[in-house]
Amino acid sequence: MTKAPHKPRLSFTGMLRRSLVHRRARSLSALVALTVSAAIATALLTLYADLNTKLHKEFRNFGANIVITASASTPLPPNALAEIQRTAGPDALIAPFAYAVASTDRGTSVVVAGTDFASVARLDSWWQLAHWPTAPNAALLGNRAANFVADEHNVKLTYSGKAITLIGAGRLTTGGDEDSRIYIPLATFTQWTGINPTVVEVQVPGGAVTVEAALTRLRTQFPSLQIQPVRQLVEGESRIVERTHALMYGSVLLIALTVAVSVLATLSASVLERRRDFALMKALGGSQTQLMSMFLLEALVIALAGVALGYIAGSAVAWGISQINFHTATLPRLSVLPLVLLLNIAIAALAALFPVRVLRTLQPAALLKGE
Amino acid sequence: MFFRLLWESFRRQRRRKALAGVAILLGTTAVTAMLALATTIGDRIHKELAVYGANIVITPKAANLDVKVGGVDIKPATGNAYLKASDLPKLKGIFWANNIINISPELSFKGEASSPALGTQFIPVNAHGFWFNHKFGEQVTGVSQLNPTWQLQGRWPTSGHLEVAIGQKLAQRLNVKVGDYFRFMQAWDRVSLITGIVSTGNELDNDVFVTLKSAQGLANLPDAVSRVEVSARTRPEDAFARKDPDALSPQQRDIWYCRPYANSIAYQIREAIPGADAQQVRQVEQNEGNVLKRISGLMWLISAAALFAAGFAVSAAMATAILERRAEIGLMRSLGASKGSIALLFYSETGLLAVLGGAFGYLLGSGLAAWLGARIFAGDGAISGSSILNPVLLPVVVVLALAVAIAGSTPSIRTALQMDPSTILRADA
Repeated sequence: MTKAPHKPRLSFTGMLRRSLVHRRARSLSALVALTVSAAIATALLTLYADLNTKLHKEFRNFGANIVITASASTPLPPNALAEIQRTAGPDALIAPFAYAVASTDRGTSVVVAGTDFASVARLDSWWQLAHWPTAPNAALLGNRAANFVADEHNVKLTYSGKAITLIGAGRLTTGGDEDSRIYIPLATFTQWTGINPTVVEVQVPGGAVTVEAALTRLRTQFPSLQIQPVRQLVEGESRIVERTHALMYGSVLLIALTVAVSVLATLSASVLERRRDFALMKALGGSQTQLMSMFLLEALVIALAGVALGYIAGSAVAWGISQINFHTATLPRLSVLPLVLLLNIAIAALAALFPVRVLRTLQPAALLKGE
Repeated sequence: MFFRLLWESFRRQRRRKALAGVAILLGTTAVTAMLALATTIGDRIHKELAVYGANIVITPKAANLDVKVGGVDIKPATGNAYLKASDLPKLKGIFWANNIINISPELSFKGEASSPALGTQFIPVNAHGFWFNHKFGEQVTGVSQLNPTWQLQGRWPTSGHLEVAIGQKLAQRLNVKVGDYFRFMQAWDRVSLITGIVSTGNELDNDVFVTLKSAQGLANLPDAVSRVEVSARTRPEDAFARKDPDALSPQQRDIWYCRPYANSIAYQIREAIPGADAQQVRQVEQNEGNVLKRISGLMWLISAAALFAAGFAVSAAMATAILERRAEIGLMRSLGASKGSIALLFYSETGLLAVLGGAFGYLLGSGLAAWLGARIFAGDGAISGSSILNPVLLPVVVVLALAVAIAGSTPSIRTALQMDPSTILRADA
């Protein structure tokens, strides 16, 4: 190495480069180990950071979590829907309902509800029906209610002497109260009965805290209306999200720890194997600090490369898992990078420093002789 | 000779053995814990989802149409059809009876209530007869088990006409508290004791609750039940579940029948109870299935990631452990040992380590999973000792550890055996 005349001294970076290049197989295996640890950490942390959003999105399908009820003495104010939407936030789904008891052509009393089908389709995705009606005079017949109607295609209803004929748009099955009702478009309903909406169902995305905040805002805005949370939905969602969160947290810690310890053990073993290098350098006059920083720097370079590769691989794994499981993508998050970096550097530094401490007590001469 | 070599190798090279052993131990611990959590997560989340209430509702088929808005009966039906309470034990005879977690029958009727605050005036109220902590076979079930979010102050009424629980809003209107007496049902000349005040968070807060038996007596409908709510453990619905069983071929129908879909359980209930119409509550059933699928899917995928990471860590540790012992291999070969016997020795060491590490890792991981599960899902009832150790996982984990360890050490053993013994010995001098 001293053959190059213009470079008489062995530079630190030169040694580092040569050490990495010469022992290529060893450097490569260390790189792979640190890449895997970085990839696993990245994937799990990315998934973990995205978990709440993903789960809350699943829970949106449960429907309304706030119900606003007006009574005859306190009707909904004009343009209430727009006001509620504004107060509840742009993400909230709202659907108005108006109810009246009419009689069918068979003389049975039946609850007829007027609503906005487009809103309900988004709010109550579990309603089972062939297709959502669009015609202004369509009538959606609850599965039970349909049995009390003589002609399902021409539904004749009477409300306080006023008759109306609607076109049946198929049956609706939910397993709940909806099965005993007939749903028609709100405009037609109001024109026919003169009744305005009395119930507004609101779905505020997010956990209990967001729902509580929306409730408070709505109650201040509309003090005369009755505004209630759907307790089991709000509580259930919070509990399950919280528990899944804790479960993920435990799993992430467990896996990260396992991988970290295994990688640490493997790396420190391979450093320990280099006791001959160590002895040689010491015999040539290297100080303890120099040797330590040499080993450390080498490890850090590999660790950084591992983080770069692992971040890409881990983000891809997180994307894949969320695509398979939640059918939506999880984008790479830069915010997990510092933690991954810290973990990898800690592993690498420990793996380099631990053997050096063990080797310090050894005599270079004895080592070189192979004792 | 072989066993002495094996024994000495473990006795003398403790540090190296410890390294590989720790890697295997940690790997199997993580994998066992993740798999144990993933296999039980379905049941655990299902218990959490019980908050949402019944997923199957049984009503009398011939019942009149409900005229209900916001939970309030507008036109109480007269001469309605009812289910029979004496038919309910038949639910225990259906194929998926063990999957039924809670049953809550109900009989609603109209009543009147008055209190000193109202003077002699009576206000109309809706009243409901329920089971409260009712012993149904082995189970203790009823309306409070089915609605865990209800908050009860005091206790539920017992059978006997003089005890009632009332909703929170009704209590405010009547200005009464737990332990007070109030007049329930104008026709009575006696007062009833309020044993509890219930906050349900919905329209039932205006109602009166009595036991099913009292309700049957008060409404003069012996043995009658107007609806039954059932919470059952089900399998998330798939395309096959939506098929009409009566249109399937006999074999297909049997498969459909023997899967715990909400639809199959409802079908079996309709078969078991004459005149009953059982339907899945789609809001609960459909969405629960989805949430369950997502969360357990996530756990399985993360377990797969854990498996991969642990497998990698173990095989890397094994490779390093063998690589370090090239000198030994060189020495053995120069002393005349055949490649086969050296490989056998090394594989035996690896196998022994994997089995030991795997077994301990299994125990450690099972314990860890039980501890984590108990901490996270606290208050769901402790799991019994037998369910902490899942015996199916033991062979799975040990075989996995064995496969990964052998796969990890094979390349190192092969390269070491292919090298010239003298080169190895000189290089390591």
